[in-house]
Amino acid sequence: MGERPGEAMSRAGGEPARRVPSLPAAVARRIGTGAVTLLLVTWVVFALCLLVPGDAVSVEGGADALGRRLPPERVAELRALYHLDESLPRQYGLWLRDVARGNLGRSFYDRRPVVEKLSERLGITLTLNLLSLALAVVLAVPLGAAAAWRPGSHVDRVAGVVTYALYAVPVFWAGLLLQLAFAARLDWLPLFGLQSPGARHLGALHGLVDQAAHLVLPVVCLSYGGLAYLSRFVRATLVESLHGDAVRAARARGLPVRRVLFFHAFRQAAVPMLTLAGFLIPGLLGGSVIVETVFALPGLGTLFVDAVFQRDVPVIMGMTLLSAAATLAGIVVADLAYAVFDPRIRRG
Amino acid sequence: MASLRAGLGLVGGLGVLALAAPIVATDHAWVARSGPDGWSSPLLRGLVGTPAAVPAGLEEPILEAPIPYSPEELDLERVFEAPSAAHWLGTDGLGRDVASRVVHGGRASLAVGFLAALLALGVGLPLGAVAGYRGGWADAVISRGVEAVLCFPTLLLALAMLAMAPRWLAGLPDVARIAIVVGITGWIPIARYLRGEFLRIRGSDMVAAARASGAGHARLVIRHILPSSLAPVLVTAAFAVGAAILLEAALSFIGLGVRPPTPTWGGMLTEARVQVHRCWWLALFPGAALFLAVFGCNLLGEGIRDRLDPRSRAG
Repeated sequence: MGERPGEAMSRAGGEPARRVPSLPAAVARRIGTGAVTLLLVTWVVFALCLLVPGDAVSVEGGADALGRRLPPERVAELRALYHLDESLPRQYGLWLRDVARGNLGRSFYDRRPVVEKLSERLGITLTLNLLSLALAVVLAVPLGAAAAWRPGSHVDRVAGVVTYALYAVPVFWAGLLLQLAFAARLDWLPLFGLQSPGARHLGALHGLVDQAAHLVLPVVCLSYGGLAYLSRFVRATLVESLHGDAVRAARARGLPVRRVLFFHAFRQAAVPMLTLAGFLIPGLLGGSVIVETVFALPGLGTLFVDAVFQRDVPVIMGMTLLSAAATLAGIVVADLAYAVFDPRIRRG
Repeated sequence: MASLRAGLGLVGGLGVLALAAPIVATDHAWVARSGPDGWSSPLLRGLVGTPAAVPAGLEEPILEAPIPYSPEELDLERVFEAPSAAHWLGTDGLGRDVASRVVHGGRASLAVGFLAALLALGVGLPLGAVAGYRGGWADAVISRGVEAVLCFPTLLLALAMLAMAPRWLAGLPDVARIAIVVGITGWIPIARYLRGEFLRIRGSDMVAAARASGAGHARLVIRHILPSSLAPVLVTAAFAVGAAILLEAALSFIGLGVRPPTPTWGGMLTEARVQVHRCWWLALFPGAALFLAVFGCNLLGEGIRDRLDPRSRAG
């Protein structure tokens, strides 16, 4: 969380005015740089598989952090899957070809294609992440606005301290405390899992309610980090735009303060905030590994953790590639949305 | 200034507590009476490693440590005890004293935090400085690389590296291994932030003036840019320690961090997970220590920024 929100987007500021490129040109350019980054991303993933030591694989099987060794037939499979007998550039080329064809190999654990395993877990993780993102945005706006309305007021200072403290709360601790309070003590919500035992005998509606109840704590747990980040950003943007010309003009015309806040200040804050959501994706994906572990949800995160413990290299590689590609897509879409709404940014 | 003081207090306090853990939380009595008029200090003896003159059973403890339990001492008669006068923070499933384990747990967490931050700074500082100061193709190459690595969720990358485990990594002691993995994944925000800061310093009037009066690259960097970059470097270092502590705890929580029986805050929370419905103290205290350590680092970073960088005081 070291970087400032919107840093990557504010490159246009302060430079002498140049001609603003047309929208298609800007879009093409951003997609181009995105493609370059995607290529670099595949390098990083490929470098990961080089970490599985070639010599150790061939001779005695490398021992991992827990001192386990890969059995010889797995080693042979790895050599074939990542073309380890070829030269390095050929290894990369062949691997990239396989990836482009959607062939990520088969899981060591149950011999099923990695793509299949990833796609069947995708739904839960996606639901969890989208709900968390939505919750963070929905809560961040009023929270940030309340703080920005009178900078330095009690509301502002308390909100500032609380959101700042939230950065330092470890996700798994928050998860445990939520379980402790709402599931163990109060018994309002289920402790973990995706369904209650015997849920398949419930009707469609009750089944849905049951699943929703199981998702409440995980979603809350996953959203508070983004909420802290976004609400501070909303506050900063609103404080700035509340002192800007547009708002001053609106107030000078005698418009009521609420109207000014909602129609003039928000409009300027909305675009950067929505695009900022794109930058939250890696944090959310990393967080969902932990949240799914704490709440025992069968999503991509738990699949990944299981794969790590089983040393299921194809699944680990596939998941790493998928998460990086998803993040990159999120950032590029965010940048594009920004370019559509704010012509200044197109100069890049 | 408040955040600087609070941050220093939290980080310093937890650091001192972790360093002093073998003295503060130990089952060796500070002072004991052995025989009618013999005195001894089992604690000193334990630290120095000399054998006892009298069998340990005959020594009568006079002055005990504030937390008179070792972190690994089992007491199967007293499992899952709630906090009490005997066990301030309760006991865990093996009857081990939670207070003693929290105090000792800081050692691994803080050691990994500082080592990893040092490593991350060692990678991120030169890259960020070169990208920001040189600009041009160096900046383009480094920035693309940073953008690519930025796409990976840090936790996933760290877990993947640990799972792949090349031989040189697998053979290292736990703390070093985790510190390397956490450090390697932690340099990105440092490089990004420092690139921006160096870009700003390079474009400042001060540097322009020095260049106009004939200063070469070496002189510019050593006399003008390095002193002004002290603040950003310290700020990133503080945030990096906090981030590294968090990541280490996450790895330990998942079960790939520093291995038991060495107590770590993350590892203690794993044990708490199974018992969360009946033993609140197992989850509350290690997590609170972790939170305070990370919060302290963040406050420290914020405080240094306020102190050394007048621009941010207005905001």
